[in-house]
Amino acid sequence: MPVILLEGMLLIALISIAVSIIFERKLLACTVIYCAFSFLAMLLYIVVGAADVAFTEAVIGTISTVYFVIAIKSINRRCK
Amino acid sequence: MMDRKAKMKTAGLVLVILLTIAGGLKVGSFLPVIGAHETPANIYLSNYYIENAIQHTHAANIVTAVLADYRGFDTLFETCVLFLSGVGTLMVLFSKAKVKRRLPKFRKTESHSETGEMISEFTQRGSYSSGILDASFRIIMPIVMIYAIYVLFHGELSLGGGFQAGALLACAYLMDRISPSFESRMGEIKEENMLIVAGLGTFLYAFTGILPMFFGGNFLEYAKLPFCALVHGGVAGLHAAGILMIEIGVTVCVMAVIMTILEVVLERTDFDDD
Repeated sequence: MPVILLEGMLLIALISIAVSIIFERKLLACTVIYCAFSFLAMLLYIVVGAADVAFTEAVIGTISTVYFVIAIKSINRRCK
Repeated sequence: MMDRKAKMKTAGLVLVILLTIAGGLKVGSFLPVIGAHETPANIYLSNYYIENAIQHTHAANIVTAVLADYRGFDTLFETCVLFLSGVGTLMVLFSKAKVKRRLPKFRKTESHSETGEMISEFTQRGSYSSGILDASFRIIMPIVMIYAIYVLFHGELSLGGGFQAGALLACAYLMDRISPSFESRMGEIKEENMLIVAGLGTFLYAFTGILPMFFGGNFLEYAKLPFCALVHGGVAGLHAAGILMIEIGVTVCVMAVIMTILEVVLERTDFDDD
């Protein structure tokens, strides 16, 4: 029962984070929220029992966040 | 007027999101519970794997047997898709006209005081530089690389494998590449060369698949690999050697593709805020 509770909490947090990304106007803030989404998804994978997928999600979430930040830097420079 | 229109838009968006969530929950209530025994996916296939995987493949565990034997083609073409994504990124973003490669720009500091020099040491590459980042990257980077090698060689028995090891190695390079200090840099790597390395990694996988065919086996039949003299443990040892080979291929491909994309994107970005 506590596992289902934890799962539900993580799912609600994931949905609310996903919705908050839509309403966020700043791109950098979006990236940081996306990073939080990735981290919570990793926790959810661990709860579900897929440690392998969680490991991949942790690494790829980090790398893609850095990519997004670099891309946003590039966009800012070109739009000035 | 515009304000009201925007409000209507937001309200519509919220409605769509709520409807989507409600629909998803409704559909989700029809789906079977995760990992339930009575679902079609778990009745036939799982039992087949559990009963026959070890005898068929001589793998260390069932997950490895499924990933590297039963779904070896799947993993091979995943690696190919990754390589092609690197090629596509390079084709779209690479500009031949740029002759001068962008080395880290060192700002000429005109401060004469000691404190100014100390600060300028940390802020040589623009306002994003930080001594904390530099110091922590120096400590974390070797550990990440050693962990990547562990994940690669232990991937057959535990979590991880080629993809994760490659991503971790690329993560170490990424830390080094965006690290502000000049001394810690591994050096500039040309993205076109990295793409060749990625292709070689993919080739190593396919080669490991084709090699047993010259010795009377099927594609990716590790037991027919011609390394009998090199490994001990018979068929299981050969199986482990084959899996190590394909995982090295996957690792090299993943690492090189991530590094390629990073270099290509960084080429387009100048971290000077002036």
